[in-house]
Amino acid sequence: MPRGIDSKKGVQLVYRRFSAFHRFNHYLVMVSFFGLALTGMPLKFQDSFWSQLFINAVGGVEMAGLIHRVMAVANITYFLLESGYMVYYVLARKGPIFGEDSIVPSWKDWRDMRGMFRWFFGKGPKPRFNRFTYWEKFDYWALFAGTILIGGSGLMMWFPEEATSILPGVTLNVALVIHSNEAFLATGVIFIFVHFFSAHGRPESFPADQVIFSGYLPVEHCAEDRPAEYQNRLQSGTLEEVVQSAPPEGRRRLFSVVTGAATIFAFTAATYTLLLILWPLLF
Amino acid sequence: MDVRGPYLLSALEKVFTSSGCYRAFVAILSCVAFLLLVPADAVGQGQTADFSGRCLVCHGQEYLGRVAVEGQTKNLYIDPELYEETAHGLLPCNSCHIGFSTDPHSMVSNAESFAEMAREACRNCHDDQYEMYLQSYHGTLTREYAEAPRPAEEKPPVCVDCHGTHAIHKVGGLEYKQNIHLVCGKCHKGSDRTYLDTYHGKAVNLGRQAAATCVDCHGSHSILPPSNPESTLSEANALETCRLCHPKASEGFTTYLVHITPTSPSAPLVVFLVAVFYLALIILVFSFGGVHTLLYIYRGLKDKLYFGKGEH
Repeated sequence: MPRGIDSKKGVQLVYRRFSAFHRFNHYLVMVSFFGLALTGMPLKFQDSFWSQLFINAVGGVEMAGLIHRVMAVANITYFLLESGYMVYYVLARKGPIFGEDSIVPSWKDWRDMRGMFRWFFGKGPKPRFNRFTYWEKFDYWALFAGTILIGGSGLMMWFPEEATSILPGVTLNVALVIHSNEAFLATGVIFIFVHFFSAHGRPESFPADQVIFSGYLPVEHCAEDRPAEYQNRLQSGTLEEVVQSAPPEGRRRLFSVVTGAATIFAFTAATYTLLLILWPLLF
Repeated sequence: MDVRGPYLLSALEKVFTSSGCYRAFVAILSCVAFLLLVPADAVGQGQTADFSGRCLVCHGQEYLGRVAVEGQTKNLYIDPELYEETAHGLLPCNSCHIGFSTDPHSMVSNAESFAEMAREACRNCHDDQYEMYLQSYHGTLTREYAEAPRPAEEKPPVCVDCHGTHAIHKVGGLEYKQNIHLVCGKCHKGSDRTYLDTYHGKAVNLGRQAAATCVDCHGSHSILPPSNPESTLSEANALETCRLCHPKASEGFTTYLVHITPTSPSAPLVVFLVAVFYLALIILVFSFGGVHTLLYIYRGLKDKLYFGKGEH
């Protein structure tokens, strides 16, 4: 039974959670999202003391606009790749849409959430999570849906003449409201309230979770954090498919460095947003 | 009434109340000396004479002021160095202050005649703009106002209300673009804010020269309300105006609404509903996420789950 260390070979075993494709997509969305927030938020919070400073730091408002568009293309690329993967998964791989390993929400997520609140107050055991927790599903689908809204409205404002050749001018008013609010919502969810907390702040991953960068995590961590998934694989005999020996030392060190860099990146992004938002409220 | 009275009153007031009483005293002495010593015929007809230097004998004193009719004190000090940097810095005082002499003060006894004089002064050099102004809505209102006076707050703008007086700078440049909405906003309250909330406003505010300000759409000297068919923003002309910057614009483009507040019920219903929906969604998601996060941390700290990994 692969748990921790393979008794025969004496090497550490890891649980492979994310494929290279998904890790690549995460890098893409991570860099592009921060690039978009970096150059867009100063426009939303233009009254903040910091906005002019930040705009000057990236080389002026024209340069900020250029970076924003380049990052938008990268972000749309993530969206197209992920949509393509969904189609491929359903049509070509004929993967199950619902079920225990699925990222599609289920009633268990509702029960898990209630279970977590009970656990917070010490009134019950911690729910036994499947492959994806309810907050991960929220993150995933909020980002996916948000990208449609923010990307669509952004494209309308990037090409206003073309957009209004088909649609009435008030569409641009709606586009600005959507773009601005969706950006604020997404930035708050990712940088402050949900995503960074689950990746860095919750006890199970503190101070940083490297699984999205390396793709693997120690088998015992998986068994502890996703007990239902681990148990399912154990019972159905599919655990061997995802357990492998840990990569060589050099690669492990590389992933630690990447995770460290991502942590610094994350805290920079959160501080940046908080400075822009809170400064006008405080002063 | 002796029009010099207010000056002396004001000066005396300064002598007794201000910490700079010495300088005020010098200012009074200088004025008195000027009036006594400069021969009247040297500047008396003063229409064309350059007497900047002589004006500054008094007006170069920081504490020169007067008590206006309304009881407010008015500072009459002109900083020569700042004035020289303005667009008119090389012009002598009497190119605008027409007919002023050593005894100018009877001519400025009321604000109305001063404004009239100022308009004529601008016209002397800027006749084209003056003619456009007369045809504009601002000009029409000014004529109506002169015939049937209304409360002072409703006074329509004359040249100096938009351009300023002693600090007139050349139009153009980023500083000008970043301030124009404040000039219009003095009367068109709220429109300055709604402008800033558009991408035009945001871009200009953060340093983009190419984006439009108030005057690029509304015009300036010949400004007319959009309801007037001759306006740059009338139904017939709006497309042409938009196309100055957006050559590919079509009719739909012109129906974009610049001056709306999305969260106000006066905004178009669809904009208002989307804005309110997002406001509610943001409050809901952030408060739920915040509570969830705080409780998670609370549990984590209470059970000593932080820093204790690997020991389970």
